[in-house]
Order: sequence, then structure tokens, then C-alpha cells
Amino acid sequence: MLDTLVFVTVLLPFLVAAVLLVLREQNVRKVILVATAGVLALASLAMLRGGAFIMSPAPLYDTLITLGDFVILFVVLFVGIKRKNQIIIWLSVAQIIGLIILDFFMVKEHGNIPAFFADDLSLVMVLIISIVGSLIAVYGIGYMKEHEEHLHLTKSKQPQFFFFIVLFLGAMNGLVLANNLLWMYFFWECTTLCSFMLIGHDDTEIARKNAERALWMNVLGGTAFLFGIILLQKVVGTLSLQEILARGPEFAVAGGAILVPMFLLVFAGMTKAAQAPFQSWLTGAMVAPTPVSALLHSSTMVKAGVYIIVRLAPVYAGTYFSNFVALFGAFVFLATACLAAGQSNGKKILAYSTISNLALIIACAGINTPAAITAAILLILFHAISKALMFLCVGAIEQKIGSRDIEDMRGLFAVMPRTALVAIIGIMTMMLPPFGMLMAKWMAIESAHGQFLLMIMLALGSGVTVLFWCRWAGLMLGTPVAKAKPEAQDITVRAPLYILAGLALVVSFFSPVVYNSLVAPVVKMYYKAAPYALPYGNFDSPVGIFLVYPLFLLLGLGFYFALKQARKVTAAQCSQPYMCGEQQTVDGKPGFLGPLGLHVPVQSGNYYLEQFFGETMLSKWINVIALAVLVIMLFGGAL
Amino acid sequence: MITKIILAILALVAAPLLGALITGVDRRITAWLQSRYGPPILQPIYDVLKLLGKEPMVTNTWQALCAYVYIVGAALSVVLLFTGSDLLLIFFVLTVGAVFLVMGALASPSPYSQIGGQRELLQMLAYEPLLILVFAAIAMVTGSFKVSAVFEQTRPLLYDLPLMYIVLGYALTIKLRKSPFDISASAHAHQELVRGVYTEYSGPFLAMIEIAHWYEVILVLGLCALFWSTSVVGMVVLVAVTYLAEIIVDNVTARLTWRFMLKSAVGMGLVLTLVNMLWLYAQ
Repeated sequence: MLDTLVFVTVLLPFLVAAVLLVLREQNVRKVILVATAGVLALASLAMLRGGAFIMSPAPLYDTLITLGDFVILFVVLFVGIKRKNQIIIWLSVAQIIGLIILDFFMVKEHGNIPAFFADDLSLVMVLIISIVGSLIAVYGIGYMKEHEEHLHLTKSKQPQFFFFIVLFLGAMNGLVLANNLLWMYFFWECTTLCSFMLIGHDDTEIARKNAERALWMNVLGGTAFLFGIILLQKVVGTLSLQEILARGPEFAVAGGAILVPMFLLVFAGMTKAAQAPFQSWLTGAMVAPTPVSALLHSSTMVKAGVYIIVRLAPVYAGTYFSNFVALFGAFVFLATACLAAGQSNGKKILAYSTISNLALIIACAGINTPAAITAAILLILFHAISKALMFLCVGAIEQKIGSRDIEDMRGLFAVMPRTALVAIIGIMTMMLPPFGMLMAKWMAIESAHGQFLLMIMLALGSGVTVLFWCRWAGLMLGTPVAKAKPEAQDITVRAPLYILAGLALVVSFFSPVVYNSLVAPVVKMYYKAAPYALPYGNFDSPVGIFLVYPLFLLLGLGFYFALKQARKVTAAQCSQPYMCGEQQTVDGKPGFLGPLGLHVPVQSGNYYLEQFFGETMLSKWINVIALAVLVIMLFGGAL
Repeated sequence: MITKIILAILALVAAPLLGALITGVDRRITAWLQSRYGPPILQPIYDVLKLLGKEPMVTNTWQALCAYVYIVGAALSVVLLFTGSDLLLIFFVLTVGAVFLVMGALASPSPYSQIGGQRELLQMLAYEPLLILVFAAIAMVTGSFKVSAVFEQTRPLLYDLPLMYIVLGYALTIKLRKSPFDISASAHAHQELVRGVYTEYSGPFLAMIEIAHWYEVILVLGLCALFWSTSVVGMVVLVAVTYLAEIIVDNVTARLTWRFMLKSAVGMGLVLTLVNMLWLYAQ
């Protein structure tokens, strides 16, 4: 049974991807994709039911993985040579040499380390990848159809596209289930390659440029990862993640020798999670078709980065290094939230908000208390759902109105009421109680309690976060009273939107259950204590209390009452807005009656506070500071 | 449990009435400062009763929803404060109301409503970090974010956190939109702003917003009262002095720009917080 489940979640996507690559029949592709999505989702749920496990597949696979490693590295090297990118060339050469040393000279007995192991953290990750990721893949069917019609392609590029999308899911599942770090390294490089291919999918000049940037930054991370595990092999003498987690703390306390490999691995995680100064690869990735952005931002890629950081947190708990990780995370959280506030491009707002939330997760890993790790895991979960939802909404909106600028989404409710409402649900679940994201943020802030510098950055950052979400939600509502006609949408687009919106609400409602059955056990395993008691399903600790069900009940009732009151408003009770001028309404849109009887439509725009949040000005400083913190982290923390 | 429910009901019913009275007194004192006679103390209640009797009019149905969610958020945060819940949680619930108020304002194309909404966001941006810092400082002293932990203290928080009380006062002036920070909406219509965020609300919906404001006044004064949690007399005196100071500041200052508000709130807030924290460490 277990073998089958691991096979389905990890290997099946690789096989399906291969089929999709050669298949050109659209309808069959659709069926295969939906079926794979369903199978993956079910398998991940079944795996969750089974609980923790350790597994070693046949030794043959070890050889295959090694072979795969070299294949990927040579492909990357080839890309580097073709693009004449010196960084990519030399970094991949360094990796090839490193891997030869590690594989053939350092690791003596291949195959005596279990390849896979899963605890609740891995299982939660598999769940996110297999359900949220699959939904995005399904959304891709409808989206890519319209996307290619729009581009007037003579030959569909969808086979490649879905090849890499589905491959990505398998690689991510492999990554989070891997116990042998060599295996993890293979999957790590797989995701790098997949993201490179997907970002460059549209093959425009900007797509090629941004894909190349994503590649060199992630290859840098990959190099750090490889040298990290080489050093780990030297210090601990094993590449078994389980054993490192069990024995790591001894090394961390003893002399700090383990902190250099830890730094390298955490650094690799930071590049993959697009933390400053590497944020530009993720903001550049938005040139790709929307399903790619959704996938990179929510359930895969960047989540691999934070996964490794949270995964290794118990090893470096209680060290100076950990404090620096927390500081770094809190700083990037604040800085990228400011960058998001200065943007009017919807996808860019989402991109910076992703980086900001990932930074918060990293800060939690750095704070490294049971409560903080709980916050980190819950943030990973809730962020994946809500952010996937937001990206899919922006994708659908963009295809309809031809713009991703939030200024163009004014009054969107009149044009696409359903998508607008789903997007507003997405925004609410990102920033307001009683939803999961906010609850996890509450945990994060309370666990930073006592560390004032962290606290200041988290406080400022969450203020800025509310600013950019709130105005986006507000301006979509700005419509005249006339009843909006529901928009037509492909079922493969609509279903994922509805399912994700439903998940965002329902999973938040069951957050005490999620905590009790998935998060508390793993935190207890590594930290010997669970941070919260759950009286009546409320999160209670000596430091604070979060009322889940009372809030859901009261706010829910209040909202229902408010909705009923709003429904009572009749068309006769609707009036024109106050414009302080002679008013004229044309096509239901208010405006002024100008000189010579000309109609002057009303126009308004958001404050983007360029002087505080301007991207070009801020980015420079953010990169310098982030780099400085990283250097201090290496020399002050690790050595 | 029973006491909590009683407290919750008390908060729901008594808080707005008390808030109305305080607003009435505010108007009388303001009138006195301006050498006017001023309205009766109960005038705010008369106003709201009159508004409730008017026919509902909106420019957009979402506004009705937003007005009601605003009052739900405000009322719920007062209930949470009275039942001794978590300070940060109270803050987040308060944000729900604030967010919906802004969304309602942004839902109307009126330029005044739009600019009010944008400015209200800036007000939030200014006071939110300050409030979180104040709560974090309280948690530094009591070891917990729970309101109930404050009441277990043996000496008033004001001794340990005098500067944080100033930060709180600054944040509250912004939150209550008192001059010089009546940037997003003013108590009375001003020509450059009309009534900012409130411009498009009228009749019963405006009444809801007024009542929500009363809840917020009580919440704000309740937070001030936490700084002298050891005696009831102390609480009343502290709150009375603070509110009087607010009224005087409100009357002697003119509206400032949002740039000044943001810079001063962040700058002053951070400096005072750091000094207070250093002092706390030194003790």
C-alpha cells in the first residue's frame, strides 16, 4: 500500500508527464490531467491517513537518481553555454565536480539510507502540493486554451507546458518526502529546471531573460545545497535527514561545526524562496502564463525553499545563527511588504506579498520556538491555498479585461461578479480574522514576544500588508447598483476557483483540528512540547488566546446579518454619488457635465506612495541590507 | 463563564451608551473652548435616533454591507476587551471593521469618498504598528498578551511604560481621527474633504457608523484604562485626564498632512518605544 502511495505521488507524475509530452490530442490531455489531479489528491489523503513512514525503494533507483543528477546538471551547463551565461556555466561545473566527489569518493555505501521518510510536516506538504498543485494544473487546461488562442500559435505548445507542470508536482512530492539528501538534491534540481522551462515558456525576449535570471539564481542555491550536504557528510557522516535531525542538535551545541552546512542549506532555501536579494527572479517569473505563477508561488518551488528551512530548524535551534535567520526573515517581511504597497500591477503585488509571507515563515523558523514553528507550518498551508486562489483569479481577470493592473479592476464586480467575489474572499482570507493566515500571523507575532527588534519589524510589516490588500478589495466593489450578470467561464477555470475559495474558508474553520492532528504531533516530536492547549477549540497558551469558534460564530452571524440588511436595499433607494459638481451619468457610469456640455468621466487612483515605497529606490537598499545580514549570518553566526 | 457572558452583554449594551455620553460631553467641552453654548449632552443620541428613522439611501449596495460589518467589528472588539481576551486579537478584530469601512468608501466613485478611503488607509498604516508595539510592550511587562494578565499586575503599567502611554495616545488620536489627524474624515464637513470616508453613508447606515464610533471610543479609553489597572479610581482619573487632553489638542491644532502623520507616527513611535524598552531592561 505504502509503496503504491509513494509511487503515485512521486513517480506517477513523471510518467504522466512523459505521456503528455508526446500526446497532441486536446481532449485526451484534458481527461488525463483531471484524472491525475484526482488520483494525486486521493493518494495524498490516503498517505495522510497512513501517517509517518520510512521507505527504501529498490537499489536500482539510487543509480537512476545519480544518473538523473548528472543529466540535469549537464542540461543546465548546456543552457549556460548556449546562453553564454558565465555564472550558470561555472556554477554547474562546480556542481558537477562536487557531485562526483560526493557520489564516488565520500559516500561509501550507497543504498543503506532509506530514500524516503515522512512525518506530519512532509505529509502536510504532500497534501498542499497534490491538492492545490493539481487544482492549478486543471485550471491550466482552460487557461492555456484561451492563452494560445490569444497568441495565435500555429502549433500548440501545450504538451511541453503540461509536461513540466506535472513533472513539477512529482518532483515537489519527491522533495518533501526525501530522506536521503542526495535524493532531495535531485528533486531540488528538478524543480529548478522545471521553473526555468516554465518561466521561459512563451519564448518572448523578456521571458527568456527572466527565465535565465531565475536559472542562475536557483543554480546558485543548488550549488549551496550541494556543498551544504557535502559538508554535512563530512561533519555528521551521514546524508540521512532523519539521522541529522536526531543528532544535529548535539553538533550545533558542541562547536558550531554543523552551522556552516546549515547556513548553506538555509541559504539555498532562501534563494529558492526568492528572498532578498534574490527576489527579482520571482517577480520576473510573472511573464509566464498565470498557472505557472500560481504554481511557483503557492504550492511548489518557493515552498520547497521554506520547507527546507523549517525542516532543519530543530538542528540549529538555540544558536546565534537561528537569531540571524529570524532577523533576516523579519526584515524581508517588512521590506517586501513595502514594495508590494508601491505596486499597481496585480501580479507584482501578489509576488511581493508572497515573498513577504515566505519571509515571515523564515522568521518563524528562526524564532524557533514550538509556537513559532506551529505558525510557520500553518502559514505554509494557508498561504498556499489563498495565494493560489488569488493568482488564478488575476489570471481569469486578465484574460477577460486584458489587464492585470488593479486600477483597471475598478468596478470589476459589474463585469465579472463571480470572479470578483472569489477574489475578495481570497483577500479576506489573506488578512482578516478569523481566517487561518491571520491566525498564523498572530502566532508569529506573539512568539516574537520579548524580541523587540523583531517585533517592530513584524508590526510595521503587518500594517503595510493591510494597506495593499484592503484597497484592492475595495476598488473591485465600486459599481453602480444595477445587477451584474454572471460571467461565462470554462468549467476547468471556474471549478478550481470555487474549490480553492471553499478550501480557504473551510480549512480555516477547522484550524484547531488541523493543528491537533497535523501540526502539534510534529512540533512535539522535535521540540518536546506543544505550544497550545485547545479549550473549546480555541488556541490557548500562557502568552495569549485566539478564539477560533466564537469569532467564526460571531463574525459569521454579523456578516450574515449585514448581508441581509444589504439585500433589503431596493433599486429605488439607490442614489447618485456626491461629486460636488454638475453630474451627468452616461451608460450607468457617473461623471461630470463639463464645459460645452462635454461628459467628463470620473477618475480616481490609489495612493502608491512612490516617495516611501518606490520600487527602484527601495530595492537597492533592501538588497544591500539583506546581503549584509546574510554575510553577518555566515561569519557571525556560523563561524 | 457566566461572568464573561454578563460582561459581554454589558459591553454590547452599556458601551455605546457610555460612548454616546462621552461624545456629548466632548461636544460640550469643545463648545465651551470655542465660547459657544453647545448642544445638550444627549445630542449624539438624538442625532442617531433621527438618522435611524430616515429612509435608507446608498450609491451601491455594498455600502450597506460594509456599514454593518464595521459596527460588528467594533462591537466585537469591545466585547473581547471586556471579557479579558487577547490584546492582539482585539486589535485584529478591530481591523475587520476598519477594513470594511474603507471598502465601503472605495466602493463609491465619489472623489471625496475615494480620497477619504485612501487617507483612512494611511491613518491605519500610521496607528496599526503603534498599537501593536504598545501591546507588545504591555506583554513585555505582564508576560502575556491577555487582558486578564494586566489585571494581575500589582502596580500600574504606567510606572513601567510611561513613554508607551504617549505612543498609545498618539495612536488613539489617529484612530479616533481627532485633529490634527482628522485627515480621512472630520467631525464636521470641511470643504476640501466633505466628510471623507463617511461622505457616501447616510440615514440608518450613517447611524450604524456613528454607533460603531461610540464603541471605538470606549475601546480606546478601555485600552488607556489598562495602564492603571490596579484601582478603579485610578482608571477613571487616567481616562478622564487623557480624554480631556485629547479634546484640548483637538481644539488647538489644525489638520496636518498625511506625510507628516506617517513620518511622525513611525519616527516618534519607534524612538519612544526603544527608549522605554531600554529603560525597562535597565530596571
